[in-house]
Amino acid sequence: MRIFNRYLLLLVLTSCLINIILAFTGQTDIEVCFTILVIAFLIITMLFVYFNPKTRQALSLVSIVFLSGFMVIVALKIIEVMGQK
Amino acid sequence: MTNKPYQMFGMSLAIAGAIFAPTAYFLINSIPLTAVALSSVMIGGTSIALAASRPQISPEAAQMILETGMENTAALLEELGLSGKAVYLPSAMRIGNAQALIPLNGDIDVLRIKDKIPRRLIVRWGENPEDMAIAVTAPGGTGLNRLEIKPGPTSSEIEHAVTYVLIGLLDLADSVGVRLENNMVTVEVTGPKLQYENIWYYRCLGSPIASIVASIACDGIGKPVRITEENYRQHKSTILLEVLG
Repeated sequence: MRIFNRYLLLLVLTSCLINIILAFTGQTDIEVCFTILVIAFLIITMLFVYFNPKTRQALSLVSIVFLSGFMVIVALKIIEVMGQK
Repeated sequence: MTNKPYQMFGMSLAIAGAIFAPTAYFLINSIPLTAVALSSVMIGGTSIALAASRPQISPEAAQMILETGMENTAALLEELGLSGKAVYLPSAMRIGNAQALIPLNGDIDVLRIKDKIPRRLIVRWGENPEDMAIAVTAPGGTGLNRLEIKPGPTSSEIEHAVTYVLIGLLDLADSVGVRLENNMVTVEVTGPKLQYENIWYYRCLGSPIASIVASIACDGIGKPVRITEENYRQHKSTILLEVLG
């Protein structure tokens, strides 16, 4: 199996597993779901260290986009906590 | 186009996910379904990014170019009746790309190579008039240029470099293991996409995978190497390299 297919397959399987677990545990916070999915994506991408430089660059851009979403969630939570005080 | 399937797959997932996410969140009011839509957008985006990084040339075109190059070299070797095993030279012993030396007669005594081998087809490697060889750029030679860091002499450094080229850059194998014992290097390549064939070219220069491994190993060790054996069994290719000098 090609390395790109292996990577995508691992991403799909992990996402499915995370979504199933979150559904069974009754998770109702979309931010938690998104955060866990982003962390899983970053870990899997880090595991594929042997990608060529062009692919690594493209995946870095995607990671930055997802990480930005994650940072926005963190920032909103901080603002929420600060507001409560 | 080779990146079309990834692009189509990515676009489909991303668009479907982007439409379904607000529907699931605002209309159906289901968090698990929204999470599924979000992961669909994420995988779609990743697939589009992968498509953008794929080379424009198709595997069939690459194979055709490789076969043409091999046919030309094989024709030259057969015409000259050269059947000796090629010696792969490290960068310290040559000028330009990684080369493999095929002796015109007898064997190459690497200890007698004093100067750097020039970038020519017919080269003199020793002082005697009969010390002549054909210098060809093996498939591994160009792969070596793509390495970001030059490999070191240990088995783990060579393994890392071979894995990077064979799996990450060229996607020619599933995994690689390197063992260094005395003057022998044993390389086990699992799931090789190109296999050994008993043809003139492969008998002289080795299979393209063995050639890549030999080019990287000789540069890492800093000594010339020769492919002594290649076995293919149960989706695993075992390559034996002899370190010369």
